[in-house]
Amino acid sequence: MVWARVLSAYAAVLLVALTINFALPRIAPGDPLSYLLPEDVLAEMTPEAEARVLAEFGLDAPWPEQFWRYAVGVVRGDLGTSVRFGEPVWDVVLSRLPWTLLLMGWALAVSAVLGTVLGILAARFRGQKTDIITTVAVLFLGSAPVFWVAMLLITVFSARLGWLPSFGAAPLTAFPGSAAYYWGVAEHLVMPVTALAIAQTAGVWLTARWAMSVALGRDYVTFARAKGAPERRVFFVHAFRNACLPIYTNVMIGIGGLLGGALVVETVFSYPGIGSLILEGVQARDYNLLQGVFLVATLSVVLANLVADLSYPLLDPRARR
Amino acid sequence: MTDNIALPAARPSVGTPGRLLSPVQQAGTGIFALLLVMIVFGPIVSPYAPAETVCAPFSPPSSSHLLGCNDAGQDLLTGILAGGRVSLAIGLATALATTVLATVYAVTAAYRGGVVDLVAMRVVDAVMALPFLPLIIVLGAFLGGSVFVQVTILCLVMWAQPVRELRAQTLNLRSADYVDASRAMRASAWRIVTRHIVPELAPLIVPQFVRVAHNAILIESSLSFLGLGDPIRKSWGTILFHANARTAFLTDSWLWWVMPPGLLIALSVVALALIGHGIGDRRGDGTAAATPRRGDGRPRRTDRAFETADVTVAYGNRRVADRVSLSIAQGETLGVVGESGSGKSTVAMAALRLLPPAGRIDGGSAWLGSTDLLGLPVSALAAVRGRRVALIPQSAMNALNPVQTVRTQIVEAVRLHRSLPRRRAYDRAAALLDLVRLSRDRLSAYPHELSGGMRQRVVIAIALANDPEVLIADEPTTGLDVLVQAEIMTLLRALSARLGLTVLFVTHDLPLIMGAAARLAIMQAGRVVEEGAPGDLATSPRHGHTRALFDSVPRLRAAKRWRRDAPSGPVLLDIDDVAVTFNRGFAARLRGASPVPAVRGVSLRLHAGEVVGLVGGSGSGKTTLARIALGLVAPDRGRVTVVGEPPRPGSVAHMVFQDPYQSMRPAMRVGDVVAEPLRIAGKDLDPVAEAVAAVRLPNDPGFLNRPVGSLSGGQRQRVAFARAIVTRPRLILADEPTSMLDQSLRAGLLGLMEDLRRDRGAAFLFITHDLPIARHFCDRIAVMQDGRIVEQGPADEIAFHPRHAYTTSLIAAAEAP
Repeated sequence: MVWARVLSAYAAVLLVALTINFALPRIAPGDPLSYLLPEDVLAEMTPEAEARVLAEFGLDAPWPEQFWRYAVGVVRGDLGTSVRFGEPVWDVVLSRLPWTLLLMGWALAVSAVLGTVLGILAARFRGQKTDIITTVAVLFLGSAPVFWVAMLLITVFSARLGWLPSFGAAPLTAFPGSAAYYWGVAEHLVMPVTALAIAQTAGVWLTARWAMSVALGRDYVTFARAKGAPERRVFFVHAFRNACLPIYTNVMIGIGGLLGGALVVETVFSYPGIGSLILEGVQARDYNLLQGVFLVATLSVVLANLVADLSYPLLDPRARR
Repeated sequence: MTDNIALPAARPSVGTPGRLLSPVQQAGTGIFALLLVMIVFGPIVSPYAPAETVCAPFSPPSSSHLLGCNDAGQDLLTGILAGGRVSLAIGLATALATTVLATVYAVTAAYRGGVVDLVAMRVVDAVMALPFLPLIIVLGAFLGGSVFVQVTILCLVMWAQPVRELRAQTLNLRSADYVDASRAMRASAWRIVTRHIVPELAPLIVPQFVRVAHNAILIESSLSFLGLGDPIRKSWGTILFHANARTAFLTDSWLWWVMPPGLLIALSVVALALIGHGIGDRRGDGTAAATPRRGDGRPRRTDRAFETADVTVAYGNRRVADRVSLSIAQGETLGVVGESGSGKSTVAMAALRLLPPAGRIDGGSAWLGSTDLLGLPVSALAAVRGRRVALIPQSAMNALNPVQTVRTQIVEAVRLHRSLPRRRAYDRAAALLDLVRLSRDRLSAYPHELSGGMRQRVVIAIALANDPEVLIADEPTTGLDVLVQAEIMTLLRALSARLGLTVLFVTHDLPLIMGAAARLAIMQAGRVVEEGAPGDLATSPRHGHTRALFDSVPRLRAAKRWRRDAPSGPVLLDIDDVAVTFNRGFAARLRGASPVPAVRGVSLRLHAGEVVGLVGGSGSGKTTLARIALGLVAPDRGRVTVVGEPPRPGSVAHMVFQDPYQSMRPAMRVGDVVAEPLRIAGKDLDPVAEAVAAVRLPNDPGFLNRPVGSLSGGQRQRVAFARAIVTRPRLILADEPTSMLDQSLRAGLLGLMEDLRRDRGAAFLFITHDLPIARHFCDRIAVMQDGRIVEQGPADEIAFHPRHAYTTSLIAAAEAP
């Protein structure tokens, strides 16, 4: 029963994403064909050819039938063909996805650890100088646009100091699989992960600081002190253990936002993930590609949320059944 | 009743005067205002137009072009100032549209409830789970990049986020007593939403607005940076897009082309973040103050087991405990009795050095054997707490760590002070559960799997884990059902007799402690006013406050305090075989909630001028029955008539709620509260003055203009009665009207109710968990348990010749000492 409810909730999200994808080319201004074919091809087409293409894509059928065909196609893994690459969208997206996941994974880990550590430090010294300074610093860094931070990182560490590569994800010279290759991949990751983690840390930090302050004011913390628990134990075993619950939820909810940040960061570093793919899609007006990326992004976020939902009871006994 | 509940300042309210903005918020507002001035006046002052070619492409800063020029030879400073207009306009417009949309959506969903709410929230969940930026990019790619389209897209994607919080708060407000009160006056949904819900929602709407603006500015900049913005209207994001396309960040021009727009985005966003941060940032929680006493203590005088000497505690300038001296002999129980704000808990917590952060120990000593607890260095506290002096805290329900099992928590208490192998500690934990008469199966339970009474037993087991020299029990039965209270008291008395415990027992409940303590110390306004054996204090009190306290306690078997002639009037309220089950609806089933039968087949009659007591424990269905009688809840089965007609809110009956802190909106003025029933009915406001006078409150403009939030608990409850009687109802339903008030105020309020009955001919349905009060105040009593009336009859008949086992146990609990 619980499972059915969780799964149906996620099915609903995917349905909404499908509906948006389906509806967009049909309600957006202009001719649906203009979203399917490049402009130069379109300009040379005769009316008969246009009708043939419409029939071929099933665009002359009534829309419930169109939607059904579209949905079935997506379930079978058919996201259409990318105009820009001349390949199936699914293949293009899959070839890029690992790089984005690598980037997001590291940024998630770094921001979660950094945000939590700084957050509980701020809670420990609440209202004191340390707290105020971290508050202003973290809020400022969290407020800076992520692409701008990325540009400044390049300016300093690539253009000025020449320490780190500013372009791509892997060295062009090293042989894939060699130690030099992996070293290069790591070097290429440093700045994108830093930019992304800076943007992501503020949210975790705010939650950690708040959750920790709330937990420290709880009755069970006072009672733990009354039991004779030393302050360090009260702080970590009782307060922090309970503060972990909202922090975990916040980190997992942040994955959607993190994905957005990754897209922007990738474009600055020309990192070959789905973010740069989106930009190429925008520039080439490759609508199939954009829709495919959106769908895959939704699917990834839904999966992350599912993992979060199913793993949360491990942290919180009250959520177990 | 917790100790601080009746303190006027204890609950944060909208009406609380104070600084409007915190320093953090002031800084944020200042920065944002400065930016606004810059972008509004900057382009006017600038000699160039933003799109005008005025210099050589890529020229560095000079005196005529302070930030140099871009690739098209346009002045960068002018462009940046003009771009700010677009960026901030989009951010603020989005925030405004989104907040309005989200508020309307959330209030509608929460107020309608049921299936509407269910569907609405599923939609919100779905929208929230979509990845933000990819969705915006796809929408942007299809729909274009004009400012209007951008605002629409941002609004479409962002509206769902504020809805969750706003809806949760609206749900709280919808079930708030003051909304129920309005509904009971037959106020329209529109009136309730606009007068009561939205004003209370405002403190939440403002930070939501700030948060959306914050996100919108950031997302708009990302969108423009990706080339999806309006190419004609330049924003900060678009400027950075061009800079990126020309790889300006690899050349010297990063300093004047890349830095300024990004810095301005960050500044405006951080300004908003600071404003929002300040709103959500409440001070006052956090680490307890363990600082030792200021100054020296007194040398030890006696050899008592535990003794406080001249303990003085202050919160800021307010002294809450003033030279309090208490002493307990080995194996003795000392009861510290006082009303809210008397300082009784403060002294107990000061002895343990567990005061809230604002509390400060100004002097005195607390001797435990030869140790002065108030003079101990912080590092030595942990070794004493839990081993030599243990605490049973006020809030037993929340004193256990929710993510640890009972075993872990008891074992922790044992092993903190003794190096015991794990196995032996487990055995000790099991033995402790035996001691508090809780099954050993509960060792592996989590706190949420236990009832309130069971949790309190675990807490007691933990307190006794290391055979402490002194046990401090701070209102240990607060928040528990009457019968469970009696059980816990029996257990505590048995334990202290068996183990020879030395107990400092803090309570507001005189009857509860009478039989349990060898001596009582009566506290008032931070001082001990009298001390002695309970019997002596009861028969020959020397201090006026002691006398008042004892007089205010209704003893079950004393002469009946309120006697009235048998009612001769017609039947006013007729409840005939009524039943109602909650969570029966479709939406509840979808949520997976199981049906709760609240009232199952109840019949009750009430005559004009009569006072009927409805007595029962928490969850017995008595409040639901009152709401049925009022017409707020429709019964599934059975018939209710008030003066021969089906009940309608706002007709002949009116209700007074349990908690005077929640039944009126704190920001409303006294006069408006009392006048509300008249306004709703469209009547003349003349009776307000008379009603206020009838409840013996000052009937002057100064008082009528005060916000309810500034009144004391007793005054508030009188205002609630004034509101209830202003339309001269014939029936008043009073739901535990005295239970949140201090003992000494209760008799006064009951006296007031009797006057209202006599002078205005009102009948009362008096709902209470307190059988002695019901016996004294009511003509008849109906005892309710699990949704049924188990017996009813004349008050003395029920009190002295009960027939049902539940009534007998209620009486036993009341007579426990």
